[in-house]
Amino acid sequence: MLELRDLTKSYNGRSVLNAISYRFKAGEFVAIMGESGVGKSTLLNLIAGLDASDSGHVLVDGAPITALDDDAATRLRRTRMGFIFQAFHVLPHLTLLQNIALPLLLNGRPAARANAMLAAVGLAGRGNDFPRQLSGGEMQRVAIARALVHHPALVLADEPTGNLDPDTAASVLDLLRSEVKANGACAIMVTHSHAAAAKADKTLVLTRSGLALAPAVS
Amino acid sequence: MKPRGMPSAPPRSFQTMLLVAALLALVAASFASLPLEWGAFFTPEAASTSAEFLGGFAPPDTSLPFLRKSVAAAAETLSMSALGTLLAVLGGLALALPAAGRFGPLARSGTRALLNVLRSIPELVWASLLLVAAGLGPFAGTLALGAHTSGVLGRLFADALENAAPLPETTLRTNGAGSLAAFFYATLPQTLPQMLSYTLYRWENNIRAAAVLGVVGAGGLGQMLKYHLSLFQMQSAATVVIAMLLLVAMVDAVSFALRRSLTR
Repeated sequence: MLELRDLTKSYNGRSVLNAISYRFKAGEFVAIMGESGVGKSTLLNLIAGLDASDSGHVLVDGAPITALDDDAATRLRRTRMGFIFQAFHVLPHLTLLQNIALPLLLNGRPAARANAMLAAVGLAGRGNDFPRQLSGGEMQRVAIARALVHHPALVLADEPTGNLDPDTAASVLDLLRSEVKANGACAIMVTHSHAAAAKADKTLVLTRSGLALAPAVS
Repeated sequence: MKPRGMPSAPPRSFQTMLLVAALLALVAASFASLPLEWGAFFTPEAASTSAEFLGGFAPPDTSLPFLRKSVAAAAETLSMSALGTLLAVLGGLALALPAAGRFGPLARSGTRALLNVLRSIPELVWASLLLVAAGLGPFAGTLALGAHTSGVLGRLFADALENAAPLPETTLRTNGAGSLAAFFYATLPQTLPQMLSYTLYRWENNIRAAAVLGVVGAGGLGQMLKYHLSLFQMQSAATVVIAMLLLVAMVDAVSFALRRSLTR
């Protein structure tokens, strides 16, 4: 589904990612851990086509995203990807239903599924509420619904539980996992939390020397 | 003096002290350089002459034909201010986008320089220049208001766009929205209440400016005022001044109420 091939990135002469290679399969939920500053968010940005690598390739279903121009990368993100951020990034002036429907509207598709997603994340009947009326956990639920409403093949989550208390984080991750599995998407979650990573199918560790499967914890 | 338990206030920097001293020196130099004859201003003769002059305004002309004429001129002044502000909103919006750096740094600098020129020239000067091209009457006044206010609103709109939180637009771009859609759905809704508030405030200013512009022949109440003052028809002039005050008060009240409802 997604393949990283010898991906390299440096900023101001400082190497951040060095020859990263990995193959992600459809339907798997993968956590990526690593020390602060090791390049986890940079890796997500390269996968999303939001940043350009110095060398190497990101291939989505065999097609190199690194070769796409800005417009084509934008189209790919719109149709094939969903995003979840630590700070939720829900639009404050739109209702919950409008926020969730955004990817559908951007793709020129009917917004009817937004209601079903709202119910799926436990917020049925609150479609006309605004984000300011929600708790952090509820906002992240909206963000999850928005990320999955258009059936993306790839979901990228950057510290999705970083702003949540442990109980809310656990329930949000359960929801994320079940929705990702129900949609058959590949989800990549960057996190510092071992508890969050434990919800994934497998955990990779990003270090200066590359991306590798985390050693099993006995 | 500081409240109990509070740490000391941070010391004032040398630059701040220097700036305050320079400003004080400037004020002192202004008084010294101008021939301000305060003594002559407050003499009994000056007071009686002023009283006699002001007495000439009473009672205002309240004949029905003149009141009708004043209402028509007030409507013309109101229309000038409204149309001038509308032109300024359109011009300001068009210039605000490049001035907010949306088309690169070169376009930003160039447009900001143009906005500086537009708003540095006062409405009265714009009107005098445009009278040559547009002729006497409210059209030149409307264009003058539009030109000056475009410079003001363009700058304010550009600053509002630049200061808008970037996260919503970034979120939309990340989710695959085009740059135009991201602007219209994320940045514009954030800044729209502020822009409307600026527009209403400038409309308040423009109603006052429109009244003055008539003095240079740009129509409305100002032109009437100049006409009656030049013929020493003080009672008619008094009616025009009262019409101006009522019009400005009415627009101020409407604009204030609208701006309050926008910021709630």
